[in-house]
Amino acid sequence: MTALEITGLQKNYVDAYSGEEVTAIGDVSFSVNEGEFVSVLGPSGCGKTTVLNIVAGFVNLTEGEVVVDGRAVSGPGPDRGVVFQSHALFPWKTVLGNVVFGLRMKGVPRAERDAKGKEFLELVGLGGFGHKYPHELSGGMQQRLGVARVLANEPAVMLMDEPFASIDAQTRRKLQEDLTRIFEKRHPTVFFVTHDVDEAVFLSDRIVVLSKRPSRVREIVTVDLPRPREWRTALETPEFREIANRVNELLVDDEGAAAGADEDPGGATDADGTAVAGV
Amino acid sequence: MASDTAEPVRRTPAGRTPRKSGASPGVVRARKVWLWLTRRAAFRNLGPFVPVIALWWLVAEMGVFDEAFFVGPPRVVEEFGDLMEKGILPGYLTDSLTRLAYGVGFGLAIGLPMGFVVAMFAKVRRFFWPILLFFQAVADIAWLPIVIVWFGFSLTAVTFVIVYTIVFPLMLSVVAGVEQVPRELLRAARSLGAGRTRVFFEVILPGALPSVAGGVRTGLGYGWRALVAAEIIVGTSGVGFMMFDARRVGDISQVFLGMAVLGILWYALDAMVLAPFERATVERWGMVRSLEADG
Repeated sequence: MTALEITGLQKNYVDAYSGEEVTAIGDVSFSVNEGEFVSVLGPSGCGKTTVLNIVAGFVNLTEGEVVVDGRAVSGPGPDRGVVFQSHALFPWKTVLGNVVFGLRMKGVPRAERDAKGKEFLELVGLGGFGHKYPHELSGGMQQRLGVARVLANEPAVMLMDEPFASIDAQTRRKLQEDLTRIFEKRHPTVFFVTHDVDEAVFLSDRIVVLSKRPSRVREIVTVDLPRPREWRTALETPEFREIANRVNELLVDDEGAAAGADEDPGGATDADGTAVAGV
Repeated sequence: MASDTAEPVRRTPAGRTPRKSGASPGVVRARKVWLWLTRRAAFRNLGPFVPVIALWWLVAEMGVFDEAFFVGPPRVVEEFGDLMEKGILPGYLTDSLTRLAYGVGFGLAIGLPMGFVVAMFAKVRRFFWPILLFFQAVADIAWLPIVIVWFGFSLTAVTFVIVYTIVFPLMLSVVAGVEQVPRELLRAARSLGAGRTRVFFEVILPGALPSVAGGVRTGLGYGWRALVAAEIIVGTSGVGFMMFDARRVGDISQVFLGMAVLGILWYALDAMVLAPFERATVERWGMVRSLEADG
């Protein structure tokens, strides 16, 4: 049932200039269930991307444990596909070549992997673009390809590192709806890092709010908005605003303590199903 | 066919011309001819040389310099026909190109693998980097005296110098190429299930290609020059030898001919091998912006 389990995660690193040991992640624990969409939010510089990099196996952890599909993580692997902010597509491969990359690494025969690749291109709305090269696609299409490339590989969990941050606002809305639609259709397990509160509320089943450095889990907010979701109706529902406000307050509260922000964090109404994480 | 990328850019003014008021039919026709010409590969490759040759011819005809020091195109063409007929030029060209082929072949065979080994293994790199920089600084020609002592006036001596010239810039460009592969691409490949060997062949090799292709081009250019220099000094035959020998006996037209032959051969190599290769790979992938599309 649990696809990803993070227990007592801590990350220290040595500052290259001062030689001091810095604690980036103090103590982070949470889990993501199979077929669940979980976002990680936090004030800027709180190390949410570091958490993702540790889960992906790009960065080693100092303390704690990360378990994916019952196995402790050590190094990158195909069970944890990553969608990058920079898309990270292979420029020398066609769109189809990018999608089937993971299947090729697994040794899936050509006919089978091409058929599957095409199926996933259809899913993200890139059917008929298979022979193009990534640089011939728009930014939004490139990121949809990034999603298809990971999903075609059927990972235990799809890790997304601020995937829409470098995309213009209108396209971003569209991509968020596309992602929700894909999620509602196929129910992959998603671990999504973002700094956009509305985006997190719109997409997620639960939101893990981290504190500033050294980061801890401040709160896990459950988003029980009905699916399928789309922006037009979501923005009109009071529940959506309520949850977004609640998450915003958690963030502002934290940043206010650090930077002396003038916003008053008071009057927080508890959203349904909020739970304080065990630290 | 070579102008795929340039065409749309250049077609736009053509579509506009008929609507422009005040342009006489003659101007319109001239413009059409010009557009037709600029789309021909032959014109775009050879066209720029027309004014250069015309200027050369003009200077020669005007007799600005004495004919013992400066000859015009007709003399050079005549000399070309003469040397071709006698079989001297084909023989010398074969000698030069054979030397270049040996030098480039060994240079690539040594430089590329060594470059990747140095680039991929940090320890090897730390050890070799200072040595690499040191030997790169010793000019190729500076090796000639000792190379002649070791190998005599032989093919080996010339090959050694060319290989030496090619290997170091090539290695440095391979290292730079491997370094410029974005870290995210390596991570993406690893998280899609690629092991270290697959990452090397699927990501690092193609990712380093723009820089490596640049290195091969620079290396060949250096090798070409080193060949001529080596032939002048080691020379018993070859285009470089021909030029230097002609100077000795005061036959300037052969010197001019040699220079033209060197330029034409290099240009042909670039236009027929190197540029098409880059067009088919790094430009197709959008990894470098095509020079033509910018113009």
